[in-house]
Amino acid sequence: MIKFLIKGLIRDKSRSRLPIIVVTIGVFLTVWMQAYITGFMGETIELNARFTHGHVKVMTRAYAEEMNQLPNDLALLEVSALREELSLLFPGMEWAERIQFGGLLDIPDESGQTRAQGPAVGMGLDLLSENTREVKRLEFERVLVRGSLPKEAGEVLISEAFSQKMLVEPGEEITFIGSSMNGSMIMHNFTVAGTLSFGVETLDRGTLIADIEDVRLALDMQDAAGEIIGFFGDGFYDDERAYDTIKAFNAGYKDDPDEYAPVMKTLSQQGSMATYVQMADIWAKYISLIFIIAMGLVLWNAGLLGGLRRYGEVGIRLAMGEEKGHIYRSMIYESIIIGIVGSVIGTALGLLLAWYMETHGINIEGMMDGASMMMPNAIRCRITPPAFYLGFIPGVLSTVIGTALSGIGIYKRQTAKLFKELEA
Amino acid sequence: MLLAIKLAYRNLIGAGLRTWLNVLVLSFSFVVIIWIKGIMVGWDHQAKTDMTQYEIAGGQYWQETYDPFDPLTLDISHALIPAEVMPEIEAGDMEPTLLIPGHIFPNGRMQGVTIRGIRSGQSIWKLPTEKLDTVVDAIPAFIGLLMASSNKLETGDLVTIRWRDANGTFDAAEILIVDIFSSNVPGVEAGQVYIPLERLEELTLLEGHATILSYRDPEAPRAELTGWTLKPKEVLTRQVDELIKTKSTAQTILYGILLLLAMLAIFDTQILSIFRRQKEIGTYVALGYTRREVVGLFTVEGTMHAVLAAIAASIYGLPILYWQAKVGWTLPMDASDFGMAMAQTLYPVYTIGLVISTVLLVLITTAVVSYLPSRKIAKMNPTEALRGKLQ
Amino acid sequence: MKKFKTAVLLLGLSLFALTGMAQPTANEILDRVDRNMYSENSIVESSMTIHGRRGSRTMTVRTFAVGDRQAFSEYLSPPREAGTKMLKLENQLWIYSPATDRIIQISGHMLRQSVMGSDLSYEDMMEDHKLTDVYTATLNGTEIINGRPTYVLQLKAKASDLAYDSRRIWIDSERYVPLLEELFAKSGQLLKRTTLSEVKQIEGRWYPTKMVFKDMLKQGDGTEFNVTSIQFNQDIPDHIFSKASLRR
Repeated sequence: MIKFLIKGLIRDKSRSRLPIIVVTIGVFLTVWMQAYITGFMGETIELNARFTHGHVKVMTRAYAEEMNQLPNDLALLEVSALREELSLLFPGMEWAERIQFGGLLDIPDESGQTRAQGPAVGMGLDLLSENTREVKRLEFERVLVRGSLPKEAGEVLISEAFSQKMLVEPGEEITFIGSSMNGSMIMHNFTVAGTLSFGVETLDRGTLIADIEDVRLALDMQDAAGEIIGFFGDGFYDDERAYDTIKAFNAGYKDDPDEYAPVMKTLSQQGSMATYVQMADIWAKYISLIFIIAMGLVLWNAGLLGGLRRYGEVGIRLAMGEEKGHIYRSMIYESIIIGIVGSVIGTALGLLLAWYMETHGINIEGMMDGASMMMPNAIRCRITPPAFYLGFIPGVLSTVIGTALSGIGIYKRQTAKLFKELEA
Repeated sequence: MLLAIKLAYRNLIGAGLRTWLNVLVLSFSFVVIIWIKGIMVGWDHQAKTDMTQYEIAGGQYWQETYDPFDPLTLDISHALIPAEVMPEIEAGDMEPTLLIPGHIFPNGRMQGVTIRGIRSGQSIWKLPTEKLDTVVDAIPAFIGLLMASSNKLETGDLVTIRWRDANGTFDAAEILIVDIFSSNVPGVEAGQVYIPLERLEELTLLEGHATILSYRDPEAPRAELTGWTLKPKEVLTRQVDELIKTKSTAQTILYGILLLLAMLAIFDTQILSIFRRQKEIGTYVALGYTRREVVGLFTVEGTMHAVLAAIAASIYGLPILYWQAKVGWTLPMDASDFGMAMAQTLYPVYTIGLVISTVLLVLITTAVVSYLPSRKIAKMNPTEALRGKLQ
Repeated sequence: MKKFKTAVLLLGLSLFALTGMAQPTANEILDRVDRNMYSENSIVESSMTIHGRRGSRTMTVRTFAVGDRQAFSEYLSPPREAGTKMLKLENQLWIYSPATDRIIQISGHMLRQSVMGSDLSYEDMMEDHKLTDVYTATLNGTEIINGRPTYVLQLKAKASDLAYDSRRIWIDSERYVPLLEELFAKSGQLLKRTTLSEVKQIEGRWYPTKMVFKDMLKQGDGTEFNVTSIQFNQDIPDHIFSKASLRR
């Protein structure tokens, strides 16, 4: 029976083509939309993750207490051992050491006297090691305004606005004045390799990006780091997974009374991210829901239309003596097949586009004034498990309901009137 | 034309459930688009209102060296209040604020703060300044919720605060937290301690000095003051505009797709109508309608979905939207630590322009989508059509 | 190190102290401390131990001082700090760091930073007014501190541009060495406390060789300062007190 129906659908294009196209388009839009919303909502989260929070972050307990004050005196020590432990415990994750610090940048004139001075916030990260992911992660290349990325030790990036205010050109030497891990005043010379535009006033005012080894040298933080941030292998934040991860890690230090023992926090436990993570989740759900409902209505209508298209055909079949129930059932089966085929194709296409937009993103940089690190430059999708099945809800269900409703008409038709209708 | 509309109406109503499904989806689009846009306008409005009520008032003058991003120059960023604004200050339409860097020591930990001297009788902000009239031994002070939670301070707590006067002499005193306010404006809460202006002026030997002058009326033309930088409201709220702009781009895509869905339904419906009603089309032509008129007829019929949807949307949507504007959309979570000015409850604001533009958008899109399949009619052979022969 | 400055300031040591029979006035006591405070010049080697939250660090420093207006210090250890030099001339302070080969003037806001993570700021270190010039002193009785009889002096600022509005100093009434000093805010709030002990006789002067500085508003154990060697009236060439010598 099913075989027969499928044959019919394949041979009679008018019976199958348009309905399948409509279901496909509908499901395609639903699936892609869901991935887009998830991706869009997640973009801000990922941005924060990449820049400061990580998907999870390891700090000392004391550092975690005063995180917003960049208390490097409370930094993690023996970081390489800790890194090994982390890689062992969580093989699929990527880890990156970061040091955030504050101080003054002092620009000398030819004679070495201070020419200009201004407050700066610095970040030390792995810029130079061979297989570092940090440069790509933070897309320095994209927001580079002048000069180049650091290629050797001692080279740093500073914000463009700051370089203009201080009249510093790439290639010039600047002195960082700050305090070391244990509070001593330190001075350290860096060479400006290039300038960056962040697009956020606080960062553009005075930011220094340096290789973490240079920062360690400058701040007397051998084998130390303020924080180690971790990223899930697939590159996307997942709150539940993050909680599982920190639980597993923190359990190992449960009985350690040391206030400098490491502690792991999820992104959502840091700063204002909790609210955002929840909000993103809620918005994504609401919007997906609206879409599924709207899509359901549209496909329901398509099912109704499909039934009407075949008014004549049904008449002939009735006239030939086919049982009403049989026709009705066969139409329902057909609609199930159409629904499934359409949903499969639609989901596949939706996933394909979503996948493309997940890996490449659609560049929207041209739509904005100038590149900036803190604004997403591309619209990206994110494929989550629901994307694989959500489309089927409106795709199959609504098509079938539409057909079932329009099919009721079959039972109302009277054989006596059929020939009259067919004559017309 | 009237006939066309009547006909279209009859045809649509006659189609029953199919029409209503289309109308429902379209009306859905109306309501959702208006609601989302309303939330955005509401957010913009709320953020600006909060900033107005807690921070910027109708605009400000900044003492020329004052720079909110540079804590290092804060100690020199104050000046005598210019004489020309004194009448305005006496009338209560301008408020001087004096900002002095200091440190507080909650539980023996040192934390940098900005001490804000503010007049207790002010009426341009919603800050609880009247509480500063509390007569206590310590200096009465209030702080924002952000500050309170990050330092674990509560109303009634005494905490040591240290600052330096104009000559650099250290001074320290206990402050008594007399109130904690919540404003949705992180800048006025994080690291800020509010104490009476007269008290701060006296303690720092800065009688008559201020860092910021905030005025009530955003509209009135403002004169330049030497030594002060005028910061009109538009400048101070630019950040909000930019944020809303980026959010809006994403939303446009969102309801663009919602519309696309609705249009898919209309398109499908139109194709079927034209397919099934060939005889009718033939009859129209036989009756002397030009093909263009018939195309118009079908286009009007399709477009009428949008009209019906607008009516449907106003029947069930208006109460919902109205209720939303009244009650607001409460984020089902705690928004107090959100970085931007973001309230727990957002109240959508629907402007006439917003409603009209949405209606026009949907109407025009629907008309275009209805017209596209109808063009086929123009190519039909009327005799064949009259016979109901498939073309 | 320069923080020594405060110390040096306070430490008046006098071999030649007259043993007055009657109770002296506050100014007389201060004068005596002050007058005997500075030798023409001194070379001091000392160590500074900073008690941080995560353990303590010790650094050693050699300081050349002439009067209380000129001082030049050089860090000797640990290796990381070694070679860092500071020059104080009147009310200006420069720091030279060998790593950057730059001389930077510490001014404005930077003066308020803590010195090497200690409980002292550069500003505290820079203070070089003669106490009797800028404070009005009154004798506030006598007390026993650590088993030593002391005069308790109350000092109130004469000028308005001092960091500390008032001080209280406990001065050993036999040796004329300060044993305890408290610094107060205008409001009377206690801000800092310096405890001086291990008073030894060096080249005939009584000298406290251990000082503990403590910021009273902050938690912690403060900063400890130990004099390991001190020489008075040495021949210090003038060129030491020039910016050029920082690089040398």
